[in-house]
This record gives sequence, structure tokens and C-alpha cells, in this order.
Amino acid sequence: MEKRLIKKDVLAGIVGKIAGDVNLVAPVKEEDNVLFELVKDGVTALSSYRNTKNAPKAFFFPRSETLMRYTRKEKGYEFTGLGEDVSGQTVIFGVRPCDARSFVILDLLFDQDKYKDPYYIEKRANTTVVAVGCTKPPYSTCFCTSVDGSPMSTEGADVFLTDLGESYLAEFLTDKGEKLLKYFGDAKADAGAEKKKEEIAQAAAKEIKKTIPAHEIKAWLDANFEHPFWETVHKKCLACGTCTFMCPTCHCFDIQDEVKAADGKRIRNWDSCMFPLFTRETSGHNPRTSQKERWRQRFMHKFRYYVDMFGPIACVGCGRCVMSCPVNIDIRKIAEDISKL
Amino acid sequence: MENVEKKIREEAKKLLADKKVDVVVGYERGTLPLTATPVFITEPDDADRLVYDATCVQNLAKYVHDILSAHKEAQKKVKPEDKKKKVVGVVARGCTSRSLVIQLQERQYGRDDLVVLGVPCNGYIDGKKMGIALAGEEILDGSLTGEGVAVKTSAGEKKIALNDVLADNCLTCRFNNPVISDLMAGDNAPAKAFDREYEKVDAFEQLSTEERWAYFTKEMGKCIRCYACRNACPSCYCKVCFVEQSMPQFVGLSADHTDTQLFQLLRTFHMVGRCVDCGSCISVCPMGVDLRNFLKKLDKDALELFENRAGAKMEDVPPLSTYKENDKEDFIYNP
Ligand code: SF4
Ligand code: SF4
Ligand code: SF4
Ligand code: SF4
Repeated sequence: MEKRLIKKDVLAGIVGKIAGDVNLVAPVKEEDNVLFELVKDGVTALSSYRNTKNAPKAFFFPRSETLMRYTRKEKGYEFTGLGEDVSGQTVIFGVRPCDARSFVILDLLFDQDKYKDPYYIEKRANTTVVAVGCTKPPYSTCFCTSVDGSPMSTEGADVFLTDLGESYLAEFLTDKGEKLLKYFGDAKADAGAEKKKEEIAQAAAKEIKKTIPAHEIKAWLDANFEHPFWETVHKKCLACGTCTFMCPTCHCFDIQDEVKAADGKRIRNWDSCMFPLFTRETSGHNPRTSQKERWRQRFMHKFRYYVDMFGPIACVGCGRCVMSCPVNIDIRKIAEDISKL
Repeated sequence: MENVEKKIREEAKKLLADKKVDVVVGYERGTLPLTATPVFITEPDDADRLVYDATCVQNLAKYVHDILSAHKEAQKKVKPEDKKKKVVGVVARGCTSRSLVIQLQERQYGRDDLVVLGVPCNGYIDGKKMGIALAGEEILDGSLTGEGVAVKTSAGEKKIALNDVLADNCLTCRFNNPVISDLMAGDNAPAKAFDREYEKVDAFEQLSTEERWAYFTKEMGKCIRCYACRNACPSCYCKVCFVEQSMPQFVGLSADHTDTQLFQLLRTFHMVGRCVDCGSCISVCPMGVDLRNFLKKLDKDALELFENRAGAKMEDVPPLSTYKENDKEDFIYNP
């Protein structure tokens, strides 16, 4: 594995050069928010930020994505093409370790042996993930260490940057990552830099003060699909789906056709288990009759079904849902409450 | 406010113990610093969880409607002799009480389904203003100190004047004390600067049509159509909202900006004489869309054209439910 050391002040230049050659997605400031966005001319990628409000999953699995187009003709329909052109190479810069892990978790679903999602897979293959370690965890709500992550986890990263104070340690972890080597100069990292990184990683993990019993509750979840506890979670929920839209691992979708005159598009849109329309059938029947069943689905999906299907918990502990729920429904508290039952 | 809080707990406990109500809708401490969150208390012993201060944001009338309409639905399946009444107690400040009045005027439930625990109100803290005051620093700890808020962030400790972070609607609130109540927890709160309530709308009206349209499209451009605003609103209680109808389908699911504008225009117009300016929709919006400007404009129109202030008096007839011969109609010819 290649490792380089770069002076802090050259990073912005490196990012700028990358943006000149490929599509660059990075955190930028938009009014009061920091968001991952395609960096356009005249916009600067932030070098100092906590984390973005939106999760970077949208660049592999967009909010709305055209899957195919068609036109109505005299006799039947004519297929007129696939969705947007996604052939361009992209670098996502500045991803936090929790979000980088979310890509690995989503790969398990969108890129399985049995089912392959070509739209997701193509964008994933064309994209290089440059992650930046949380030398200092950005929020008091972070709980990555409870769900098998850590503030310096390199899982899901192609290139991993660690802030060593004066300089950055850049680790090139995959073939995709090594293609970016040319931007990072020749200064090889020495053993001292690696040692320093180790120390930083240990200190950072200790900084995560919040832990939740994410694994411990699995047995209870397995046994308690029906339980009065589920009556206590949802009552104040506004069903807005903010938690799922902000979540880096939520991935439910709904496919609809939108037709204007003779031209139609088949569009895949984010769905949310929090929406009343979620799983409503054509007949009008919905097997999940109320927000209670929907909230149980959200929690079970993350901490039970995903574990059973694929192994990892479908939560990376970023705390976005905790911070953005308008009525303070706190997934950490739900886990804690369950562990006390 | 501490005495108010104490009184709310006492009264709630009594109401539950005497079986005068089945549930009390109020606020409890949130899991994040300086937050409170809606809570549904059914056991007298849990009444001590109730809190009340400037961190209480949501208009609880929304939940009153949720509970009573769900109960009404459930009762449809019950034999007449087994039918049960459900009474909801609710902690209500000015805006909440006005929303209750609107729901009562609109015959959503009866006055006897409700026990209104009135509270005086000095306004609540606007999360977005707080974010700006702290330059985006995360709140690690915080407390209310009379006229101010003491906040701890990783950048250190900071004192902020309450007036600098109160929501815009609270700063100019005309009805910060309940317009109906069965019990009052505390004396009436001092008046706010209500004579300035239309200042922003007045300024907005001075802009050209193009400028106003540009502002509307800019704000609506941020909207991700999560419908949190609609769901938080006590006046948005349609069983099926037009945006979720599928036959016919009025709006698409994808992020088409004309669909977003259509949703917002229709919701806003449904609010004539029904918006109490509680700010709930704005406080829950994850994208910081300025809905208030447009709602407040309609509020002003309702006042000027129909002499109506939403939910101000039980005996008022809501402007959308009545027709008077002297209703102004020149705006139809001279918009
Ligand atoms: S469930 Fe919440 S904390 Fe977990 S990954 Fe999703 S948004 Fe982050
Ligand atoms: S963000 Fe909160 S209110 Fe909105 S759907 Fe999620 S849990 Fe419910
Ligand atoms: S709008 Fe008025 S009554 Fe409502 S919270 Fe603000 S000050 Fe209180
Ligand atoms: S809450 Fe905000 S983002 Fe959500 S639908 Fe309303 S205006 Fe749009």
C-alpha cells in the first residue's frame, strides 16, 4: 500500500487539480448548510467541516433517477434510451468514515450475487472515495463505535487522509485509490507518521462518549415483533421521512412512470418507511396499517433484518437522524429502552 | 416558568387520577440539550415528566386531532353499547389554543372531548436562529436563565439574549395567552410586539411581481417535499392529502419543481383563516424553507378582506366556510 505525506496547505491545490480532471463531489457551504455537492467552477470545497447534512449515498443512489425513456407511437411504445449518462469518472472527496462504511453496507444490497443493480454498480465503479478520518469526532451524537465502525475506520475508502497536525497522511488503499497517487507528490510517509496515526486513532475512538447496545438488542428484536413497546415509539412522529432521507444507509425506493404528452420516463425515487404511502398496495390495502408498524419496520430493518440478510447492522452511527428529527425521536434512545425491557 | 411547570404537573396528575382525561398531551425533556419533545402521559405518576419553557416548540393541537380522529375511527367498529368516550387533556399556549378553536369550529370533535390546560407563553427558541448565533457550533449543554440562554459549545460558553433567538412568529405574537382554557397554569404572560406582526409582509408587498416570484421560486427550490410542514400543522388534517392521491395523481414523486410549487401553493391557500402563525411548519422543515412570509400574507388578507383572525374567538365563522353579501370581491377584478 502506498502512503504519502502532504503538507496541509497543498491539499486545496490537490483537490482543485482533481476537479480539473474529473467530476468532483465534496462538501460545500449552501446558505446555512454544509452539503455534498458536485463542485462547479467558482465554488470551493470546504477543508474544515464537521459532516454534511445530506449523506453522500445520493451520488450512487440518487433521490430521483431516470431508469429509461419511451415514446408512445401509433402502434405501442418505442424505447428511446436509458437514464442519465453516468460514464464520467468521479471523485468523492471528504467522506467521513461512517459514510464511507455506508457504501460497503449498501453494496451488499445493490451488488449481490443474485441481484445486481446496474445503475448503482456503474456509478460505484466510476467513483473513487477519498475519506477523511475523524481525528476529533465532529458531534456529541456520533456513535459509530457501537455499530462496528470507528472514527478512523478505513472501510469503504479508496484513499484515506489523516490530519497529523502539520500535514496529512494519505493512504492509498485500493487500485482505484492508487490512480490518484499522481496528485499527491512524492513524499513517502515514514514509520513516525504511521505511529502518530495509530495514537490519533486510539484517542479519537475514546472521544466517542455515546454508546448504544446495538448488538445486544438483537435477541429481543428476534423474539418481539409483537410487543407493547412498539406502541411507545411512533406517536409523536410526523412521518416526514427526514430521518430516512438523511440516513446514509436507508435505501428503499419506489418506481413510477411520469408521462408528458407522448414521452414517458420511468423514474426510481427514494421511498421511506416513514411515509403513509409506503407499501400501500394498488387495492388501497396497506399491510403496515399505521406509523407504529412503519416505525417498527425502520428499527427492525436496521438492527435485525439487515443483520440476518447481510451481516452488518444497517446503521453507521452518524447521528444524522438524531440531529435532524424535528420531534426528537432518537434511535439511540429506542435501542437503550429496548435493552432495558 | 418553573411555577407554571409545577402547576401543569399537578393539574395533569389530578386530571389523570380523577379519570377526567385519558391522556395528557404535553412536552417532556428531549434527548439533546435545550430541547423538549411532545409526550403523551396516561399514568398520573408520569405527570412529573412534563416540562414547559422556551424549548417547547410544536403546536400540540396536531396531536389532539390525531388522537381524537383515530379514536373516532376505532369506535366505528364498536357496538353502540360498548362505545367509549375519550377525553384529551392538552397543554395549550396561545397558538395551540387557537388551533383547538379552529378544529372545534370545523366540527372535528366536541368541546367536551377536550380539557385545555392553558399556559402563558413568552415564545420559543428558533433552532435556526440558535444555529446562526452559535456559528454552527454544536450545543453540548445549555440552560435557560430568565431573559437569556447559557450555551456550552466546543468553542466555549456563551450567553445569548432570549430575544435574539426567539422565533419570528413569537416576537410579534398577538395571542401569547390561551384564547380558551379550562384551567390556567400561571398568570398571563406580558404582551409581545404584536403591532409589528405584518412588518415583513408589508415590506414584501412593496417588491415587484418579478422579485416576489423570484423569492417564491428560490424558497420552493429548497423544498424536498417531505411534507413535514403539512404533518406538523394542526390545520392540515385531511385524511388523504391531494399530494398522496393516486387517482388522479396531482403531483409526481420525483423532484420536479413545478410539482413542489403546486403543493405549496395549494397548501398555503388552504390556510386562509386557518393559520395561527404557530411556526410549527417552519420549525420542522429540514431545509429551512421560508413558508411564513406567504402564510402571513394570507393571514393579512383574511384580516383586511374578511375581518378574520384565525381561531381568535369561538363564535367567529371561518372565512372559508361562509359567504356574506358584502364580502370584498374587487381583488377578483383587480388583483
Ligand atoms: S440510522 Fe441514523 S445514525 Fe444510523 S446511519 Fe442512519 S442516520 Fe446515521
Ligand atoms: S424525522 Fe422524526 S418525525 Fe420525521 S419521520 Fe423520522 S422519526 Fe418521524
Ligand atoms: S406564536 Fe405566540 S403563543 Fe405561539 S409559541 Fe409563539 S409566543 Fe407562544
Ligand atoms: S417541511 Fe420543508 S422541505 Fe418538507 S415539504 Fe415542507 S417546505 Fe418542503
